[in-house]
Amino acid sequence: MSALELRQLGRRVGGRSLLSGLNLRVEAGECVALLGPSGCGKTTTLRLVAGLESPEEGGRILLGERDITAEPAGRRRVAMVFQSYALYPHLNVTANLALGLRVRGVPPQERERRIDAVLELLQLAELRERRPAQLSGGQRQRLALARALLSQPALMLLDEPMSNLDAQLREELRPELRRLLCGGEAPVLYVTHDQQEAIGLADRLALLEAGRLQQVGTARELYEQPRNRFVASFLGRPALNLLPPRDGRQLGLRPEHLRPVLEGGLAARLLRREWWGSQQLLWLESEQGELRMMLPAEQAPPDALRLGWERHHELWFDAATGERLVRSP
Amino acid sequence: MIRAVALLWSLGPLLWQLYTSLRPADSLVSGNLGLGGPGGGIFSGWTLENYSQLLAADPPFWRYLLNSAVVGVAGTALTLLLAIPCAYGLQQQRGALRWGTLALLVAASLFPTALLFLALLEWARQLGLANHLLALALPYAALSLPLAILLLRAALADLPPELEDAARLEGLGPLQRLRYVLLPLLAPAIASTAILVFLFSWSEYPIALTWISREPLLTLSAAIARIGASSVFTIPYGAFAAATVLGSLPLVLLLLLFQRAIVTGLTQGAVKG
Repeated sequence: MSALELRQLGRRVGGRSLLSGLNLRVEAGECVALLGPSGCGKTTTLRLVAGLESPEEGGRILLGERDITAEPAGRRRVAMVFQSYALYPHLNVTANLALGLRVRGVPPQERERRIDAVLELLQLAELRERRPAQLSGGQRQRLALARALLSQPALMLLDEPMSNLDAQLREELRPELRRLLCGGEAPVLYVTHDQQEAIGLADRLALLEAGRLQQVGTARELYEQPRNRFVASFLGRPALNLLPPRDGRQLGLRPEHLRPVLEGGLAARLLRREWWGSQQLLWLESEQGELRMMLPAEQAPPDALRLGWERHHELWFDAATGERLVRSP
Repeated sequence: MIRAVALLWSLGPLLWQLYTSLRPADSLVSGNLGLGGPGGGIFSGWTLENYSQLLAADPPFWRYLLNSAVVGVAGTALTLLLAIPCAYGLQQQRGALRWGTLALLVAASLFPTALLFLALLEWARQLGLANHLLALALPYAALSLPLAILLLRAALADLPPELEDAARLEGLGPLQRLRYVLLPLLAPAIASTAILVFLFSWSEYPIALTWISREPLLTLSAAIARIGASSVFTIPYGAFAAATVLGSLPLVLLLLLFQRAIVTGLTQGAVKG
């Protein structure tokens, strides 16, 4: 099996650039999450790689030695799990799985064997005769996954496969999804806007904004060494505090890095407390604007307090470009 | 109350027609409508005479029913055969080509057909299509096509596009996608389109009248008109009513049958894998 490599991938529709200059490599067996806000080009990237759209700004898609940029979707050996699952509503579970194999000329016995195996793997064997409408959300998701796995793809694409599930189910399914997808032979490209999901599933994250790749790396690298203001504020919950720019520079402080101090620091007034289980989120007002701060739940903060932080937690950005200034002043 | 009025409004003429068809031929004009007149009460004077007259005629009336059915089925089949790929192809297009074609189709479907039939008659004569029953299916299909394409295109647009994307990724070519994925899901739309086309050709009059002149080849509408005008001295209301009742019966049956197909269309149209 072989790696996926995207070189200078771009797409422009009606004069508007949806994606430009995307370079990304996903190793065989690696799971990379394409992460970003809505409309940042995640789904466009997937559809380009799948062959459902064609790159008009040039760029190449390589799967191992194969250049699949111009190959029709049906011949790329790429499987995709759609956000809506795109199950055939008129076919039952078995028939949903069989259609692709039948069209590809897999002999009936082989077909049956592979379908049985994948139904077993995804615990769908009891539901063979059901139509998609008769399945629960989680079961539909598993069926969509089964269909993708069944084709033994050289590349696996997932487009927000868990966005239609409730939060609890999502969390339960994450390890299962990771077990099924990652560590196989095919590279996996996983699109999501949910950083929790991306961190839980993927080996590396690729953060997109407005059609441009911002940074690629492990979740920890992105969190600790963000390349720019966007990456720093997108990753981490609650979101980064950005202080007003001064002298062309802007300071970012993570809520979890702030703590109350007795003297010095920044004076602030408590506006609101949000209980987060073992932690609490404090909304504060200071002369530097509104700030968020995390504190252990059992501490009762006074109405007026002073905030301090370690120098090495400071994230400095160029106020104009948003680029991170690596050497803090 | 409003419902009762609406029901009477829509069913009244039909029931009147049915009633007339079962009364003696002269009852309408003789004033003896069986409503307590000198001829007796509502329970006397019923007769099937009008029907037996129709069926005993030469050619018998069922012959016209058969002719209309043949033309209707052929026209509907031809329409669907052309409209389905057209609608699919149109749905694949983007931008000006699609919307321009759609606008043309709307314009074509709004065109008054009465303005066409002289030209069509000329064509029929030149191509030797006159007095061929099946040839009638040609203009019927041509006239139904714009509406059929519009209806089917709209139904296609309602299907989630990811379904076709998924099928593409699974290696299904355009025809396979149409056959295995789209057509089964379009079954309800196809059924309702078929009904509309069939209804049109069943009741179409001017073209049938001008293209067909030989008695045994007449379609229903032309035949009924001929019955109505068969005598200069009287209007055979009874026979006329009986003919319209017989002519509507197949339609009523068809609609009842297809209604179920439309409601459960999705399940009925499913393809077992």
